[in-house]
Order: sequence, then C-alpha cells, then structure tokens
Amino acid sequence: MKLRVEVWRQADPTDRGHFETHEVDGLEPHLSVLEMLDALNEQLIDSGREPVAFESDCREGICGACGVTVDGQVHGPEDNLPSCHQRLINLDDGASVRIEPLRSAGFPVVRDLIVDRSGLDDLIRAGGYVSINAGTAPDADSLPVGEQQAEKALDFAACIGCGACVAACPNGSAHLFTGAKLAHLSMLPMASTERQRRAHSMVRAAEELFGPCSYYGECARACPAEINLNAIAAFNHERMLAGLKRRL
Amino acid sequence: MPAHTRADKAATAVVQVGPPPVTNKRPQRNHLIPSWVLKVTMAVTGTLWAAFIAIHLFGNLKVFQGAQAYNHYAHWLREAFYPLLPKLSVLWAMRVVLGLALLAHICAAAMIWWRGREARGPHRAKIRGARAWGAWLMPLTGILIGCFIVIHVLDLTLGLGIQSAGFAAPISDESFAYENLVASFRRPAMACFYSLVMLLLAIHVAKGFTTMASDLGAMGRRWRATLALIGGLLAVAILLGNGAIPILVLTGVLS
Repeated sequence: MKLRVEVWRQADPTDRGHFETHEVDGLEPHLSVLEMLDALNEQLIDSGREPVAFESDCREGICGACGVTVDGQVHGPEDNLPSCHQRLINLDDGASVRIEPLRSAGFPVVRDLIVDRSGLDDLIRAGGYVSINAGTAPDADSLPVGEQQAEKALDFAACIGCGACVAACPNGSAHLFTGAKLAHLSMLPMASTERQRRAHSMVRAAEELFGPCSYYGECARACPAEINLNAIAAFNHERMLAGLKRRL
Repeated sequence: MPAHTRADKAATAVVQVGPPPVTNKRPQRNHLIPSWVLKVTMAVTGTLWAAFIAIHLFGNLKVFQGAQAYNHYAHWLREAFYPLLPKLSVLWAMRVVLGLALLAHICAAAMIWWRGREARGPHRAKIRGARAWGAWLMPLTGILIGCFIVIHVLDLTLGLGIQSAGFAAPISDESFAYENLVASFRRPAMACFYSLVMLLLAIHVAKGFTTMASDLGAMGRRWRATLALIGGLLAVAILLGNGAIPILVLTGVLS
C-alpha cells in the first residue's frame, strides 16, 4: 500500500516547525505506524536527507517510549493502543496521513516527533515512590494484601507513562497519570503510609506543570494501558482526604 | 590537596562540549487558588443550583393545577414560614445564597477554562464522542444559561425592559405569577427561547452531575452510576416539565 505522509519537522525546540510531505510506497497493512516511519527514514537516508527523529523502544506496547499523533489522534486511529501497535490497516491505501508529535504545552518539542516528557518524571519525583527503610527482608506474608485489592491496584499501576493522556486532553491535564499513581499507591499497605504527603505534593506538582480536568474523558480513550476514568476521581479523592487529615 | 576533595572537584566539574543545548522551558505556573479547589467549588455550587432547579421545577408543575394554585404557591414563597420567619426572609436568603453560588461557579469555570487553554498550548486537541462534546459544550451552555437567568429575572420577577405588556408585580396579599407567565409565553420568540434554554440546561445538568462525581472524588462504580442517573433523570424532568410549559401556553393548552 502507498501513503502520502505529512510529517512534522522541527530542527530544535526554538524552531517554529513545519509539515513535510513524502510518498511512501510498498507498505504492508500489518505494519505499525512506527514501521511506516522506519520505511520513510530509510527512504530519506537513501536520498541523503536527514531522517525523522522519533522515539521508540520495545515495540510491544509495554515501555511507553513511543508516541506520535496520527491525524490528530494520539498514538493513532485505534483507541487504547500505543503507536507501536497501531496498524496501517486502519488507513486507506493512497490516503494522506498527518504525523505530529504529542501536542501539549507541557510537552515541548525537542526535535521532529520527539517531545520532552520530563514533566511526568517531575510528578513521580514529587511523590510517586515509596520510602521504605530497607533492612532485613520481611516475611512474605507478614503484610497480607487481599487479592481484589491487589488486582485493583495493579489495574492503576498498569500505566506505562507514555503521556498519551496529557496529549489527548484538550486541557493539557495529567490527571489520569497522577490519579493512577495516587490510586495504586494508596491501595497498598506500605505505600499508603505516605498517602497524605504524597497527595499534597503530587497534586501541587501536577497543577504547576499541567492543566486542570474538565472531564472530557479523552485521556481514557487514548490510554494504551486502559487506565479507568476512576483515576481522575482518585486525584481529587486523595487531595480532599489529605486536606481533611493531618499532614504526615 | 587531600584525595577526597580532588575527587569531589572532578565529580562536580561540568565538561562543556560544543554550544549549550537549546532548550524550550516547560511552562510552570504557580496558581493562587489551586485548580482542585476551583473544581470542588464548582461541584458544590453546581449541586446547590441543581437542587434549586429541582425545587423550582416541582413548583412550576403547579401551573397544571390552574391559576389559583399557581398564584397561591407564588405568594406563599414570599412569606414562607411566616410568622416563624419574617416575610420575604426565605426568598431573600435564597437569592443571596444562589447569587453568591452562581458568582463562584462562573469565576471558577472561567479560571479553569483559561488554565486549560494555557496548559494545552496552541495545538488544539481533537474532540471525539459524547462525553468530550458534553464537556466542550459546558462553557457555551453555561454562558447561555447565565444570559437566560438575567432575562428570566427581568421578564418574570422584576418586570423590567422585556416583560410582557400585561406584567403585574405582586402586591402585599396576592401574586399574579400565572397571568404573567401566560402573557410572557404568548410571545412566540420568548416561548421558543425558554424551551431552547431548557434543552441546554438539561445537557448542562446531565453532564454536570458526571463531572461533579469525579470532582468530589467518587471512585466507586455504584456511586458514579447513581450520580449520573440522578443527573440524567433531572435533565429529563427539566426537559419534559419546564420545557413543555412555554409550548403548552403557545398552543393554547394553558391560558
């Protein structure tokens, strides 16, 4: 199959950026969006031009490194899939496809399709961790966690940190990401001891770096880890509870 | 030089190769009022208004019992709980509380809208599906409902500017709410405007309840479903109850 690819080119963060159009032929419908970019890059290298810079790592949907906007849709035309799993079969043969970086003021473009997602790292640094005095390893069953509770926490912990929620949000909000961290950590016994302090600092950081939530629900549609919209409720839930209780 | 100082120096020395990297700093904002406080404010004031709308709707239904019942109810509102409370006190308490709630709701909404636009940046996001369109409509329906409140008060409470020709203000022992309502809705433009705004209000309330569930941190599946159901039922009631009155006046069923 053949595609007319309009790809975003931006030399550095201060460049204005523009779209560049290329014809890519000989594509297979089962290829992913990233493999299409690989094909485009080979074409560019063969003709002695600079290849398009984009991020990717595992290509099996578990690392969260990849992420481009395809025709205005984060990751690609199918909901709840990362770019590396978005197949070209969803695009028409001969169609024009627009590839942009993830768009949000909190994700400034570094080069071409690569964006700076370190805002999410700042959120984790603000409290998305567990402080444990590591000593002798405790007995495996000394702190029992119910199966249901563990499964629920794991559902929220499925987040791969790709930033699709922020890029899909018309408000540029990181509520789904932050809420997922707050939710899964507050559900487990060791992590929940820092619950109030974590909610205070993570919510503050999220509001400084990203937008507010207006419940568009676009984040949950884009999320490759299928994080539930409950994570958004968790954001306010944890912050309100932390406001009511004494600070740790 | 002692060995450890030399090692420290080596560790902290910055080796610069080539020009410094060009960086585009991420925007960082320190808000005076946190967004989550604004959202909780909107949820609480919105719920207050939804409760008022439900009571108002229930009162409006007395229009189907005839002029006397409706006017009697309108008059009772002016001296509710008299002699326990002074006349007009309940009415004025409602006006003050609802007025302040509305002001807080609008201010918070404007701030959230602005912060959202800033945090998104110049490249707008794609809006897909009913939930997203509902959220997108919220400011728009909100502004129109705000305009409607002004017109509604001018038309049927104060009788200023846009009232019907036969508007009669309440006197000390009688109200003419029914006559005013019929006279106002005999005007097709006004009747259509009221019915249209009721449709927008229904959308605003239905979407508002689901957003409110999230803003107040309702994480349970049943909680969220219940709140969405209450919002949906209230929206349908607004559409069927309030929305029907102007049309029934216009078609001559109520006169």
